[in-house]
Formats: sequence, structure tokens, C-alpha cells
Amino acid sequence: MSPWWIVFTKELRETVRDRRTLLMMVVVPVLLYPVLLIASEQILLFGQRRLASAAAPVAILGDAPPELLSLVDSARTLRLIHITRPPDEALRADTVAAVVVLGPRVEGEATRAVSLLYDATSDRSLRGRRELSGVLDAWRDTLLARRLAARGLPGSFSRPVAVADSSIALPEEVGGYTLGRILPLLLVVITLLGAFYPAIDLAAGEKERGTLETLLTAPVPPGAVVAGKFATVALIGIVAAALNLGSMLLTFQTGVLQVASQIGLDVSLRWTSVVVIFVTLVPLAVLFGALFLGIAVRSSSFKEAQNALTPVYMLVLIPAMLPLFPGIDFTPLMAVVPVAGVSFFFRDLMGGDARLVTGSLVLASTAVYAVAALVFAARAFGSEAVLFGGDDDRAEVNPDAGRWWTALARRMRPGRTPDPQAAVLFVAGVAVLFFWLGITLQVHWGERGLLASEWLLLFVPALVFVRLGGFDPRATLSLRRPSGAGVAGALLLVAGAMPVAWGIGWVQTFFLPIPWEILQGLEKLVTAETPGRLAWLILLLAVTPALCEEAVFRGVLLGGTRGLAPWRIVVLNGIVFGAFHLSFETAIRFLPTAWLGIVISWAVLRTGSIWVGSLMHLLNNGTIVLLASIPALQALFSDPDAPPPLWALPLAAAALYAGVRILAALPGTGDAVQPLIPSEDP
Amino acid sequence: MIRFQGLTKRYGPLVAVRDLTLEVRPGEVVALLGPNGAGKTTALRCLATLLAPTAGTVTVFGADAVREPLEVRRRIAFLAASMGLYQRLSARELITFFGRLHGMDGTALDARVDALVELFGIGGFRDRLCGRLSTGQRQRVSLARALVHDPPALILDEPTLGLDVLSGRTIHDFIARERSQGKAVLFSTHQMEEVDLLADRVGVLRRGELVAVGTPPELLARTGTTNLARAFLALVADPADGEAA
Repeated sequence: MSPWWIVFTKELRETVRDRRTLLMMVVVPVLLYPVLLIASEQILLFGQRRLASAAAPVAILGDAPPELLSLVDSARTLRLIHITRPPDEALRADTVAAVVVLGPRVEGEATRAVSLLYDATSDRSLRGRRELSGVLDAWRDTLLARRLAARGLPGSFSRPVAVADSSIALPEEVGGYTLGRILPLLLVVITLLGAFYPAIDLAAGEKERGTLETLLTAPVPPGAVVAGKFATVALIGIVAAALNLGSMLLTFQTGVLQVASQIGLDVSLRWTSVVVIFVTLVPLAVLFGALFLGIAVRSSSFKEAQNALTPVYMLVLIPAMLPLFPGIDFTPLMAVVPVAGVSFFFRDLMGGDARLVTGSLVLASTAVYAVAALVFAARAFGSEAVLFGGDDDRAEVNPDAGRWWTALARRMRPGRTPDPQAAVLFVAGVAVLFFWLGITLQVHWGERGLLASEWLLLFVPALVFVRLGGFDPRATLSLRRPSGAGVAGALLLVAGAMPVAWGIGWVQTFFLPIPWEILQGLEKLVTAETPGRLAWLILLLAVTPALCEEAVFRGVLLGGTRGLAPWRIVVLNGIVFGAFHLSFETAIRFLPTAWLGIVISWAVLRTGSIWVGSLMHLLNNGTIVLLASIPALQALFSDPDAPPPLWALPLAAAALYAGVRILAALPGTGDAVQPLIPSEDP
Repeated sequence: MIRFQGLTKRYGPLVAVRDLTLEVRPGEVVALLGPNGAGKTTALRCLATLLAPTAGTVTVFGADAVREPLEVRRRIAFLAASMGLYQRLSARELITFFGRLHGMDGTALDARVDALVELFGIGGFRDRLCGRLSTGQRQRVSLARALVHDPPALILDEPTLGLDVLSGRTIHDFIARERSQGKAVLFSTHQMEEVDLLADRVGVLRRGELVAVGTPPELLARTGTTNLARAFLALVADPADGEAA
């Protein structure tokens, strides 16, 4: 018997004996969902019947003609009452459901004003309004018929066009569409929940109970242990999702739900769609299983793992919910977005219009993410630091080891640079501060608010962090004078990188249209009409970010991540820098800014000098302001929908190449990194 | 034979075990003593292939813990201080599971499990879930689990921690029996009476360094004390503390 199979069967046996997992896996989908659905439907129907059972009290104010009173009297769903209070008060007091206020009588063929008052927050009032509105329509038709008859005109005179709208969708297609709005999110969430607790129990729980240590002393490769555990978690996720899918379909398709049949919905799915949905659930469950296992095993207890996984759970919900929102298309690009692609694909399968290309992309990309997550999990099981961190003689030597204040103190040891977690945490804190407080400042004081945000919410916190953390400012912020070759290389690099950023921005307009208002806003912001305005914009948009944003990103963030591999440093820096420039309205700035972040951080890493980063940032932003503000260049450069001028591309490539060569050949650039890593010797 | 040869284990700047050289011969019981944080657990985990040495080697009957970890695991029974029992498996299921991981199967495995159930008196609760067992019962199941593949070397990390006198005695009887069968036994403990009762030789660790190794009488003679507890205190007393005082 293969070791992974032995581990798998053992884990499965233990898991099915775990009430918590069984509850989430079997009880919730099989019993709770149908019960909840049917119960809520019954409550809904009960409420509707109760509302319909009594005639709605309505009042008419003003000089009511007999035919109107007669129509109200003959409507069995309405009961005419007399009110003495003002109509809004009577409506708020719920003594009347709707009130008709008639304007003065009119002579001849004039129009009489009629107001229908109701309370939009009351179901009773809404029903009264609906019924009374029907009566008023009937009264209007009576009057119209009388006028037409007086003039000897036919009834069609007032209806020159007769519109009849009818949907071409078949009842089962409407049913599939309706299911497609509800079920994908539920399926993703249930798959996720199915994997959630077993992953924690099989990884962090086993560490906490000390059984992992025993298991790893058996002659089984760590890979087999991971495979057995992962197969269990994935299987439970799949079973949970399959049970949920089956339970939901049975609930809908057996006709138990009266609402569906009442409104003519046929909520049946083709069996081929059900099979494809199930097949797609497999890589999704694998992805969740491996991801959760990898995160959970890095936690030292069940509770810690729960805390670590809850934000992941919330993050997964966002892409899973995308199909619920109107106007978001299932494009090939969307198909490769983790979780979102699966959710959209489920929607299309249920609606009966799934396509092979996007479906294949979803399956393939989810499989790739699942494999990556599996590697992430397997690495943890092979790492002694992950498996025994804080649970050995280190903890015995220092009883405080592992406690948060000790960890914080360790990270803030004087004379050193912050560690990656501390640096990323700082940037995250600053970003949140900038997002909320910075926006408030900018809303109140416009450009002066932006200036204040940069200095007060980025520059000052960076200095305070370095000072209070007791870090070495020179090492953390790369405060080193660059060499001449370093400056030359950086200048060439940014000269080549700017057109590339421009090109990236242009290419992404094919996938991500730029909202017109954003475009106008940006153009207005960077364009100066007078020399004084130009100087102000250079200060605001070029000099200030070159100092303030560099202090945060190429200062603290780069300083804190120096221990990582160079490619990780620059990619992380670029992504974080790009994400910092995201806005609510659009994501268009992410890729070009991330690219510049990568280029600038690499240059700073090679030269060991933040001043190089400031210079590159200054040149990039200053160039944008100058190009937008000089009339002769505006036509050439200011249309973001236009491609970069062709003649600029070879020049940019040459500059980029030269810059890379010069910086890569810089001697002793490693000195900027190595001395900052503490020696292991005590 | 269990052999540590210049074993050093660092955690970043902290040296948990420094240049440890020690042997445990077949049929010999060696006790590893030391205050909390002395490096006992780290040394045993290196031996059990759970931790990779920073320097030096660890071998078990010729198999190297780094180059042949699976072979080393086949040759050892490792009993962690936490016992490491799966709460939702019965005693019998647990022993069988570990037997399978050691490549055993079929009637041979069943016979071995039955023998261990008999040997450790587990019969009365063999089908009860481990989560419902008393501490003493759990320790017996742990021993049976560790011995399912009948290895030549035993590594026991504080095996009597938290046990009552009766359960502790079961462990002592077990260690004595394994020695009589020619097994090499290395155990860590804070209980001087069980060292006195069981250990052929004693190794004393202080701040990761082996400061003394020898038979109990040799340690008493070296420290000029009359019992092991005093000898231990004399050996682990920190010279730096003395100077400071």
C-alpha cells in the first residue's frame, strides 16, 4: 500500500469522525439548505397571503367625482376611509395605506392634477398604492373614452402604437439564468467551507496536538504526508460541493418550491451541465485544499490557523461574487482570474450558454493555480522552521519566544533593517492611512491636500518608523551617494522604461477602457497653463512623490526586504507600488506603475542609493507634466488612446538595454545588501 | 548503535546544540539530562530526522540521519513528550496505522498488533478512541505505537512526563525489558530517580554543550556529591552566574 494512500485513508477516517466537519459537509448542504429555502418560501407566501387577505384602507382628498368613488367601492381589495389628519401623518401612523389627493376640477379638455401618496418603506402601503393606481388608471381610461366619444374619435386615436414586449428566452433558460445568479457563489463558498476546517485540523490541529511530529518520524517522505492530507481536504471540499449542488437541484427541480412554479420558472439543469460543473469543482477544491493546507500548516494552533484563513476566505468571496454584478463580462481575461473564472463559468453553464474556449481556460488556469498552491503546501511540510518554529529548545531558552511583544522587539532591534513582515505591515498601514485620511485632505483642500498627504502621511511616517523602530536609517533607507555610473545607468534605464510604461498603458486600453471622466481629470491635473502653475505642478507631482513615495517604497519596503532574492524584492516592490496607485474608479494605473516600481527598485538595489530612485521618479513624473503642458508636444503625446510614436521605440529599447548593462555591471553592488544581513554567529 | 558526531544545531544566531559527540551502544540505556533549553529535545529531534543538523553527523546503526532519513526512521522508535496520539482513532487503529507506514501488512501486522496489545495490557480499551483514554492508557498506546516495527533503537523524550507512579513504573519496566533485548535506548528526563534506576550512562547538557558523560558513579565521583540530583546541579551550574554572584 502506498504511504500517501495510508495517510489518506487514516485522515479520511478521522475526518468523518469529526462532528464539526460532518456538520459543514453533510448536515448543512443536505438538510439545512432545503429546509431554509422551503421555510423562507413559506414565510414569504404566508406574508403575501396575509397582506392580500385584508382590503387596503385608502383615502381620497379633494372633490372626488362619483365615477371615481364608484370604482374604489367596487374594488374588493380597497376600503375607502375618511382621514382627519394630514395624509403624510396618516400614512406614517399606518392608519391608511395610500391617499389620493385630487387637484381642482377642470373644465373642458384640460388635465386635472392627481397625487398618489404612499410610504415606500411599508409593504402594506406599497400594496395599497398598487391597487389604487389600477383604479386611477381605470378612471383615466373612462374619462379618455368619454372625450374621444364626444369628438367622434376611435379608441385607437390615443394609442398610435401598440407595444407588446415578450422575451424569447424559454422557461428553462430563464430558470438557468436565475440559478446562475444564486448557485455559483453558493457552490464556491461551500467548496471553500468544506476544505476550511479539515485543512486547519489536518495541519495546524495536528501540530497543536503533537501528532505531526510522531507522523514525521515514520518512514514516509514528507511529500506522501502532504499528498495524503491534501487528498483528504480536496475530497471533502468536492463532496461538500457535490452534496450542496445535488441538494439545491433537488430542492428546485422536485417542485417543492411553489414560488418557482407560480412565476413560471423551470429551474432544471441539463445533466451534461451538472457533470461539467462537478468536473470544474475538482480543480477548485484542489486549489482551496492546497492553499488552506499550506497556510494552516504555517500556523502553530487551530485558533491561529483560523485567524490566518479567515481573511483568505473573505478575499475569495470577492471574485466569487463578481457574476452577481451587472455589466461584468466573462471575457478570456476574466476566465483566468482565480475563483472569478469558475464562478462565471458556473453561471454560463447554468444559463446554457457556456463556451468551450472560456471553459477550457477556466479549467486550465484553475489547475495551474491548484498546482502552485500544492507546491506552496508541500514546501511547508518540508520546512523544519514551519513545522517546529517556536516549539523547541528556542522556546525553552527564552520563555518569551513566540510571544508577540518579543517578536516585535526582535523585528525592531536597533542598528538593523526591519524584516519583511514589519516593512510590509508598515506599508499596509501607511496605505490605509493615505487612503482614508489622504482622500479627506484632498477633498477638502484639493492640490494642497495632496501635497500635505504626501508629506504628512508618507514621508513623516517613514522617518518615524525608522526612528522609533531603532533601525539604521542609512541601511534602511539606502542613504548612500550613488556613483556616476550608477546615475548614468539609472537615467538611461528610466528613459527607456517610460515609453515601455506608456506602451503597457496603451496595450491595456484594448482590454480595460479608460473612463472618460478619469482621463479628463488626469489631464486637467497634469496640465499647466502658466509658468507659475508649471512650477507648482512640478513641486506637487514630481518633486514631492520623488521624495515621499520613495521614502516608503524604495526606502522602508526595499530596506526591509533585502534578505529576499533580488527578483522577489523588485517584483514585490513593483506590485505594492502599483497597488498603491489603484483607485476606486479604475485599475488602469496598476500595470504601468508596477512596471516603473520594478525598474526603479532594481536600480536602487543595484546602486544601493535611494537618490537614484528619487531621480528616476522625478524624471518620470516631471516628464508627464512637461509633455502635457507644452503645447507643441501636447498633440504628440497627450492622447492616451494613441500608441507611442514608432520612432521612440528603438530609442527606448536602446536606452533600456544600455541602462540595464551599466547597472548590472556596477562593481560591489552586493555591498549594499550583504552587510545588512546579520551574522548568524552569536 | 546511536552515534552523535560533532552535532551542532543553530537557529539563526542561537546555538541550541554545540559539537555534541555521544554514543549509545546496543543493550545500553543512556539518559540525557539538562535544564530547560539545554538542547535535549533538539538533539533527539536531529536523531529522529525531524531537524537537519547545522554541522556534524547523527547515525543509527550505520544509517545517516541526513542522507538516509527514511532508513533511520525504520531503525528507531521515537516517543515525543506530547505522546502524539490521534484522538479520533482507536488504540488498535492507531497501532495498525503506524505499522502500515512501516511497510507491514496482512496477518503479520495483525499478529504484531495483537502481541503489543497483550504486552502493554491494552486489550481492555483497544477499540476505544484515543481521545477518551486516561494519561496512563495513552502512554501505553504510545509505546505500542512506537514499537510496532520492532526497531533496534529507542528515543524517548521525557517519557514519564505527567504520569502517575504506576504508569511511570510501566515505562521503567518497558525500558529495562528493551535493554535486556539488546536495544539501544536514549531518553531525556528531569527525574533523577529514574536515571538512577535505569541509566547505564548519563550525558549532561548545558546551554547546548555536553558538559559531562559517564556512569552515575563516575558523575558522583567527578562532582564529589552523594546523589545524582546534586551532581546534576553541580554540573549545570552556570560559571557566569557564579561570577556574577
